[in-house]
Amino acid sequence: MRVVGLFALVVLGVPAWPAEATDFANRLDPPSGRHLLGTDQLGRDVLARVLGGIRWTVGLGLVAVVASLVVGLVVGLGTGWLDGTRARVVATLVQSVVDLVVALPALLVGLLVAAVLGPGVVPAVIALAVMGWAPFARLAHRLTVAARAEDWVLAARSLGAGPVWILRVHVLPAIAGPVREAFTARFVGAVLTLAGLSFLGLGVQPPTPEWGAMLAEGRTYAFVAPWLVVAPAAAVVLVSGLMSSARRPRRRPWPAAWARPRRSRGSSTRSRG
Amino acid sequence: MTLPVAALALRRLLLVPLVLLAASAVVFGLPRLLGGNVTRSVIRSRSLASAPDPAAEARLAAELGLDRPLRDQYLAWLAGALRGDLGRSFTTRAPVAPQVLGAAGVSATLAVLALAVALAVGLPAGVSAADRPGRVADRAVDRVGSVALAVPEFVIGPALVLVLAVWAGWLPALGWGTADRAVLPVLTLALFPAALAARLVRAETRVALAHPSTVTAVAKGLSRRRVLAVHVLPRSLTAVLAEAGPFLAGTLGGAVVVEVVFDVPGLGRTLAEAIGSRDLPTIQAGVVVVLGVAMLLTLAAELASRALDPRLR
Repeated sequence: MRVVGLFALVVLGVPAWPAEATDFANRLDPPSGRHLLGTDQLGRDVLARVLGGIRWTVGLGLVAVVASLVVGLVVGLGTGWLDGTRARVVATLVQSVVDLVVALPALLVGLLVAAVLGPGVVPAVIALAVMGWAPFARLAHRLTVAARAEDWVLAARSLGAGPVWILRVHVLPAIAGPVREAFTARFVGAVLTLAGLSFLGLGVQPPTPEWGAMLAEGRTYAFVAPWLVVAPAAAVVLVSGLMSSARRPRRRPWPAAWARPRRSRGSSTRSRG
Repeated sequence: MTLPVAALALRRLLLVPLVLLAASAVVFGLPRLLGGNVTRSVIRSRSLASAPDPAAEARLAAELGLDRPLRDQYLAWLAGALRGDLGRSFTTRAPVAPQVLGAAGVSATLAVLALAVALAVGLPAGVSAADRPGRVADRAVDRVGSVALAVPEFVIGPALVLVLAVWAGWLPALGWGTADRAVLPVLTLALFPAALAARLVRAETRVALAHPSTVTAVAKGLSRRRVLAVHVLPRSLTAVLAEAGPFLAGTLGGAVVVEVVFDVPGLGRTLAEAIGSRDLPTIQAGVVVVLGVAMLLTLAAELASRALDPRLR
């Protein structure tokens, strides 16, 4: 989660890199002191474009996942909380839609949305969000159903708290851990799908410096200027590797963190031995 | 869910035509309503004229049936689809059904081969990693696995082409139809599921090894290999099976990247090209085929894991 925050900072902090400046005298220059990662077929600095691409590839992925998270949480918390026969029918219907969406391949949905709306940035992000809400909804639904049975929910209810208050103040913090994990995992998926769509020409369009689109453009020049392919590919792999390695929880859940001053030493040596 | 298997299967099977009907209506209607001028993009895909003559545009609209009310167009398409006639391509005017089915066959071959390779590598790696923690297989599943899970297809595909086809010259870089041409696309597709399968099987095998039935099998005097293959492995396949159905379905229509990179005439590439030229009949047919197969495969995977694992019944 901290890494996600870091990426968000970087996305906001790299406002306008001069990624579009062309220099026809120095086309397809190999990496040098002047252009650390060389230049492309229009003489644009590859390093500047890769850095500028953070905004598009990572930034748009982040937008899509945040949108998915919000929709998924609302749906999941809502259907998880509903009780009684009629409400349960609604919840079952919503959950079967969720099951259907989860079963669909992400890239295919991207294709379908591009088929309907035409290729572009907005359709690509819509496709990611259309796909993305379902896993969050499923997870939040299951966690909410489990949390509803807890005594502290009963206590809050008997004090007269309404459903929205209970869900927001009591249930949401309690289910935040797994949701946070899912968020990080889905973020990687969203970034890769977005780059894949752009690679196919269905997402972000050139000359915008998106990594997938850059890779597709650079493929034509792969033999004369391999840095055009290597740089965006390395950027994608670096980001997805960083994100997936950060996936494992570092912090312990609350009670264990409390107990740390007394227990942590003993338990850690025990688990090693 | 404590429904009997047959009832579950029936309910889900009944859902398939309903979803297909709804999906076909959406895929049929939305591009025609929102997608701007379809005739103009079709003309553009056939000729270089940027601003075509209005008379030609009107003629083409009449020829493609685009001048009729939307409802009539859809009902005509639906009536044809029920007889197995999915219309003619806007761009090539060839019948769509045989074209899409042929492409689906290519993609299905690709998907099945990739899954077979992934399981042939992933299952033994996962079992052996769980059996001997900390040894070569275990560390490989950790390290090679995290690389394989992090590198997307559009990076690994071109990289394999560059190394194995261009530099080493061992394999053809592009194409489809012969065994050596299938190697690179299948490898590219198999990498991710192989790593995933190894991880999932390792996790489940760890649990299965600690199960009393394993102790019994060892106590009977069975060989280590036999215990692993006959008693442990079947208990470790729940998660892999659950992922296999969606993988096959996803590869059938969604292996676009691999099909484009390696020039494989599969369904994903056909769909992507049809979207580029706004060839609506091809898009409709492809979507219906992919969705139908995806739903059936997900159901099949669910039934298979229920059959294998008594806890899910």
